[in-house]
Amino acid sequence: MTSLTTFYLSGIIGKEAFGADGDAIGIIKDLLVNAVPSGQNDPNEQLVIGVRLKIKKDIRFYSFKSFIVTKARELLNVTCTSLVELGSDEVNNGLLLVENILDKQIVDMNGRKLVRVNDVRLATLPTGTFAIAVDIGIEGLLRRIGISSFIKRILTMFKISMPSKFILWDDVQAIDHSNLNIRLSKSYSKLHTLHPSDIADILEDMGKKSSMSVFSSLDEEKAADVLEELEPHIQIHILENLPVNKAADVLEKMPADEVADILDELEDDKAEMLLKEMDIESSQEVRDLLEYDDNLVGSIMTTDYMSFSADTTVAEVLVELRAKKPESAELYNMFVTESNDELIGTFNLRDLVVSEPFLSVSDIMKSEPVSLLDNQKVSAIAEMVSKYNLLAVPVVDFNNQLQGMVVVDDVVEDLIGERRTRKRN
Amino acid sequence: MLTGKFNRKKIFRQIAIFFAILGPGIITGSVDNDAGGITTYSVAGAIYGYGLIWTLIPSFIVLLIVQEMNARMGIVTGKGLSDLIRENAGMKITFFIFIGLLLSNIGNTTTEFAGVAGSMEIFGVTKYISVPVVAVMVWFLVVKGTYKIAERIFLIFSFSLLTYVVSALMSKPQWEEIGSSIIHPQLEMNTQSFAMVIALVGTTIAPWMQFYMQSSVIEKGLKMKNYKYTLLDIAVGCVATIVVAFFIMIACGSTLHPNGIQINFAKDAALALKPLAGELASQVFAFGLFVASVFSATILPLATAFYVSEAFGFEAGIDKKWDEAKEFYILYTGILVISALIILIPNAPLIKISIWSQVLNGILLPVVLVCMILLINNKKIMGTYVNKPLQNVIGWGTVIILTGLSLMLLIMPLIS
Repeated sequence: MTSLTTFYLSGIIGKEAFGADGDAIGIIKDLLVNAVPSGQNDPNEQLVIGVRLKIKKDIRFYSFKSFIVTKARELLNVTCTSLVELGSDEVNNGLLLVENILDKQIVDMNGRKLVRVNDVRLATLPTGTFAIAVDIGIEGLLRRIGISSFIKRILTMFKISMPSKFILWDDVQAIDHSNLNIRLSKSYSKLHTLHPSDIADILEDMGKKSSMSVFSSLDEEKAADVLEELEPHIQIHILENLPVNKAADVLEKMPADEVADILDELEDDKAEMLLKEMDIESSQEVRDLLEYDDNLVGSIMTTDYMSFSADTTVAEVLVELRAKKPESAELYNMFVTESNDELIGTFNLRDLVVSEPFLSVSDIMKSEPVSLLDNQKVSAIAEMVSKYNLLAVPVVDFNNQLQGMVVVDDVVEDLIGERRTRKRN
Repeated sequence: MLTGKFNRKKIFRQIAIFFAILGPGIITGSVDNDAGGITTYSVAGAIYGYGLIWTLIPSFIVLLIVQEMNARMGIVTGKGLSDLIRENAGMKITFFIFIGLLLSNIGNTTTEFAGVAGSMEIFGVTKYISVPVVAVMVWFLVVKGTYKIAERIFLIFSFSLLTYVVSALMSKPQWEEIGSSIIHPQLEMNTQSFAMVIALVGTTIAPWMQFYMQSSVIEKGLKMKNYKYTLLDIAVGCVATIVVAFFIMIACGSTLHPNGIQINFAKDAALALKPLAGELASQVFAFGLFVASVFSATILPLATAFYVSEAFGFEAGIDKKWDEAKEFYILYTGILVISALIILIPNAPLIKISIWSQVLNGILLPVVLVCMILLINNKKIMGTYVNKPLQNVIGWGTVIILTGLSLMLLIMPLIS
């Protein structure tokens, strides 16, 4: 006997546990790991604390402390010195390896994608038994069917090694917590560290139930960023199933043009309900945008922009920017307007930075700026953006009053979208 | 203001919803009438005339029930059938189902290429040209990501399956006889006719279609709210399947049967129609066969590679690069290459291959159906959308009858 015994979950499930006197006690049905992995590198989170044991017809959880796993000539032996039943608190806070991990999808935090678990590798040390890694390779598959060693022997004859793939327990985020009562935000804490686009990609691959519970666990800011990145039909699924007040909170954090796009896809009643729940200022912006037809500039412009009167000084502008901390897109192009909102000039961050603080914006602005009409066709944007090398273009109505701006990011999305639909559909 | 925009949209909304949802059922229905199906219906018509047309009615009911369950599962869970089976049925059953599916679909794809070879021979093209050309074309179509376009084009082409109606009408069918054979269903009590019935039901409700149906529902992002439109789509698809089957059986039943002409392949039916119903009817039949074969040869290997990958946790999808989804591409290419090569072998035992893939289908179908009924009655998975008692009665009834039929198919060769 060595002090380190490694084994697979598939090898221990369904095995009989023996008492100190050598009598069979019960059949091992599942193992309980201390907690959902949090990425803190805390070995206690990998500790196997409980075992689901079937004794005659009764299935209960027992503490794993009194269990010892040993290996003799490739055969696993599980012995148990005493049976101590586990409290429901510990059971509820743990993660079941068969029920929540095996055959289920988990997030591989390194690859930032969903993978399916074929097996779990465990190790018994003097300090306890720990989950070390999940097996997602072909070897794990063959082991589950019971032909792994047979295939391995054939492959070694041809000097080919069996491809095996493992993910360390620290890099695993479990998805399925259906049996647990633990707080959701805590259980997905690892996933929250990913970029919103990666979270969105992962959500798109999940089933409906899991995607809802993962999304619900995000804070509003992150939820807004993720929602923006999702495919339309998943956006709709999420908004329809989220409580109205929570959905409205998330939408308030998003740019008005994106909200308008999503609400356009929703059913009328639902869209109206969400708009009513949002704060007046945000919902009014969205309502204005919704009035535009899909193919008009007005429908994709954003109403988040910075505008100043002509006599504002450079120093004052900087103070205001520092106070408001706008998104970077709002700084691509800033506008100078008359008191009636008429657009008279534009300036950008560079103009601002290279100018003396006492100058007024009318001194540094480009007058007679290039602009789009709100009821112009969307197709006009690309041409203008490339012709004048602009990152953001002001949008005015027929009175030359500033209505919003079109940001190049949104146009790029549309252009790629167009190409993709042409290619795929 | 806002309501103004929404109202304007409302006028077209209902029609738009239907057309947006339209698809999964109808496409599945069209793929169903593949070379294997056409062959089986033709052979049944040639041997039994109008005698077995009645089997289409129970087939229709079962097809409808099974596809409805798939659509409901897909909409509620957002998960593919192979995902659900893997997560709930364990590794061994999953392995059995998907290895079976892989083998039977290699056989089925072989049958599709037999259809390509046969139909092009009618137009004077040798199989040594038509099969490699179609195989390479299909491979590029899918891997170069134009698969979705292809699916739409094929959907339009699949209306050409209605050319069977033309073939059937040109064959001067005896409508009174057809009517009476449907009203008074009869079945000769012998192994051959039993096997024919099993083949007819089996080809109409192929196991892989359940997987296909469920994932297309998910891909479409359908919702429970618009479920009635989805039901309509499924119904239209099932009707299309059955109508085409009906007219193929009539075409062959009116011409080949009275003249006592026996056939083994759909191609034989097209050839045999020539002297009896005219050159045009024969060519129309061959064209329909060609389109159906290419359509299914495109979808079958792709779908199979996809479901097998999904179940075993391999990366899958044509939007992935070769290195990212190696297993998926190897499976896909492998199925296509093996099937095409089998056809190119001179004197390949095509009849045996097609019979054995049908037998495999027959064994798999009850297993897949049992998994489906257990899954759809699981409250943890389906919530309030579990089966209603009547659906369960029809579902389990179908499983029992199909299992009985499959067992007979297995036992009969041993007795006779």
